[in-house]
Amino acid sequence: MFRGARRFGPGEIDDLTQALGGSNNADTSHDCTTYFFSFASDRWTTALDIEADRMSGLLLEHEAIDVERAIILEEVKMIQDDPWDALEEEVMAALFGDHPYGRPILGTSSALMAMKREDLLEFQRLRYRPDNAVLAIVGDVGPEAFDEAGRIFAEVRRGDLMASRQPGRIGPVSIRRVERRLGRVSRLLCAVPGPALREREYPAMRLLAAMLGAGRASRLHRVLVEERRSCAFVSVDTTETLGAGTLLIAAEVIPDVQPERVERRLMEELARASSGGFDEEELARAKSVLVADWVLGHEQALAIALTVATAGALMDVGLPARHLEKIRSCSLAEVERVAARYLRPDNPRVIGWSLPEGGRN
Amino acid sequence: MVSSRGRPELRTERSFSSVRVHSLAESQAVAVQVRLPGGSRTELIPGQASITGRMLAEGTHRRTWRQIAEESESLGMAISAFGGLETIGVSIDALARDWERALEWAAELVLESAFPQDRFEWLVEQNSAELQSMADQPEIKTGWEFLEQLYHPHPRSRPVQGTQEGLARLDREACDGFWRQSLSKGAVVTIAGGVGSEDRVQARAEALFGRRTRGHPGEWVALPRGSDEVFRQVSIAGADQAHFYAGHLTIPRADPDLPSLQISSVILGSGCGLSGRIPQRLREREGLAYAATADAVAGAGLDPGRLVVYLGTAPESLRQAESCVRQEIDRLVSRGVSEREVEEARSYLIGREPFRRETAHQWAELLAAAELYGEPVDQPEWSRNRWLAASRDSVETAVRKHLHPSRIKITVGLPS
Repeated sequence: MFRGARRFGPGEIDDLTQALGGSNNADTSHDCTTYFFSFASDRWTTALDIEADRMSGLLLEHEAIDVERAIILEEVKMIQDDPWDALEEEVMAALFGDHPYGRPILGTSSALMAMKREDLLEFQRLRYRPDNAVLAIVGDVGPEAFDEAGRIFAEVRRGDLMASRQPGRIGPVSIRRVERRLGRVSRLLCAVPGPALREREYPAMRLLAAMLGAGRASRLHRVLVEERRSCAFVSVDTTETLGAGTLLIAAEVIPDVQPERVERRLMEELARASSGGFDEEELARAKSVLVADWVLGHEQALAIALTVATAGALMDVGLPARHLEKIRSCSLAEVERVAARYLRPDNPRVIGWSLPEGGRN
Repeated sequence: MVSSRGRPELRTERSFSSVRVHSLAESQAVAVQVRLPGGSRTELIPGQASITGRMLAEGTHRRTWRQIAEESESLGMAISAFGGLETIGVSIDALARDWERALEWAAELVLESAFPQDRFEWLVEQNSAELQSMADQPEIKTGWEFLEQLYHPHPRSRPVQGTQEGLARLDREACDGFWRQSLSKGAVVTIAGGVGSEDRVQARAEALFGRRTRGHPGEWVALPRGSDEVFRQVSIAGADQAHFYAGHLTIPRADPDLPSLQISSVILGSGCGLSGRIPQRLREREGLAYAATADAVAGAGLDPGRLVVYLGTAPESLRQAESCVRQEIDRLVSRGVSEREVEEARSYLIGREPFRRETAHQWAELLAAAELYGEPVDQPEWSRNRWLAASRDSVETAVRKHLHPSRIKITVGLPS
């Protein structure tokens, strides 16, 4: 999409953006791709011209495809050189199996080699179109921005959409383990199936994740990092996916601490969390952290645009505000119900380790 | 310059004391930063500044680390205590309604730090683990060697977290002493966000921090000479990819040629996306690297910045990629730049300015930089006018003066 269309040729999108003092990029998740620009408010419509052009007139020339394929093949190898990235790929593959969520977003080397221009054209034709996209414009613009967008995209084709496959709840049926060796430090990534973005329990799961791992006073951080001094850091997060949600717990082990000790302690804490025992103070703290994160994370126009566009593409643009409201009103009982359902010790999950080469640690 | 100790050293540090406030109408956030001069560039033991800075959130004479964590997180405050290259200090991001609390907390952490022994020991262990973890990332490991090659024996030649050897030598007293020494040089307190009256905030900050003395004579910092090696190879166990760094030292931030060299930097590859001569040729046209960036003044601050071209590439493409990088830098120096390139690079730099001042945190950073470097970078017109004053001639002159193909040093990280 950056390698040339009818009006803006190869390399011209970045050159033009730069000449106008802007920036641009794109991000692909398992559920959607987001293209974004930031410009001064007196020249932002150039972004619409570029999007309309590549939606309707993408060239996808053979030479450009070959260069991009070669670059992505190197990126695939680069992922394998990074201990965390490589571990995450293996854990997600074990969690989701053959489902698209189990595949690397960049693709595999064999799939990339087999990909033909016609495959790309077909994918682009069916999905990259105004009636399958959400446009968010945030900043110093008025209602005329909508007229401008309507005018520019009016000429871009519409038609039958590819039917979207909505992945259902999927995941492992048992506790699975993956293990790889790279580097000198032990890294743990535990993936626990959880509610998807659209499910009612999702905001409570966000709160549970914050109570477990947001801030130094959170439960896992306190136990594994500050008190036991077993880990350099612990993080807990939820994926914002349309089909099946995941709670991801990552920890980096202090050298000379036994990884089994960290895993045992983590599982004990998750089991403890599944049987309740949280207090109102922990809940209030997690709510404060999430609300402040929301405010501090949306000071920039681009951040607001990304939130709105992604929510619109996956569900609806009102979703983030509803989630925030639910997080504010969520009770301790609701969080404990989610913990009891998803963190039970015998629940399926994937426990992944990246261990030092040569067996150290 | 030769110091009283008879070694070639720089003496660039200013001492300063100030409170700067910037009110942002309608902002729901506030950022409070307190910076004490004397980061790792002035430390005597590698890791001293990093540990000292991080210790500021580990306990005061009034609160333990845990009370600090619980009480701040109950308000949604994010506290970061840091030890950087040029300063150590505390940064707090919070909701605007809590600005006064954030300011009081910042004062307590910076002025009343207790340096508990057990927390010191834990932080040293964490820094050590962090260094090991970072060394597992090929790009970082190679980058460290490149910095050493360029900056030796200046403190920038090592990770800001220190070294394993330095951390092993460090004790609590050395950090406590470093903190007291930093405090004696003054402090810059910056507050930005939805705080309402700037005068009221200014008065409160001055009441908390007092008017600290000025006039510290500054520090001697080892002159960056670089190592004698023009090529260095790093072995990366278990990796598939090669990492390539090429460059040399250029100019510090105070150099009058900085705006012109910044424009040349955008032309070379520090601008938007994959624009610029190096990314365009190496990645887009010839597909020789999956990652390609270039900068002529990377890290320019009180000490010199550097020309650096970074490539992530396949090992078998390395030789060809290196040749292309050398050709592009030669071309820039010998054949100059076009009017159009200068105009577009200038437009890019000016166009990015509003995006450097969107958040309370960014404003607090800008105000601190204005004090630290003695430049009004918080005023949008100041940077804009400097770039507007630069011409094709000034850019070409700066390039010829500061970029030297014959002085390029190269570090590559290769799979072992």
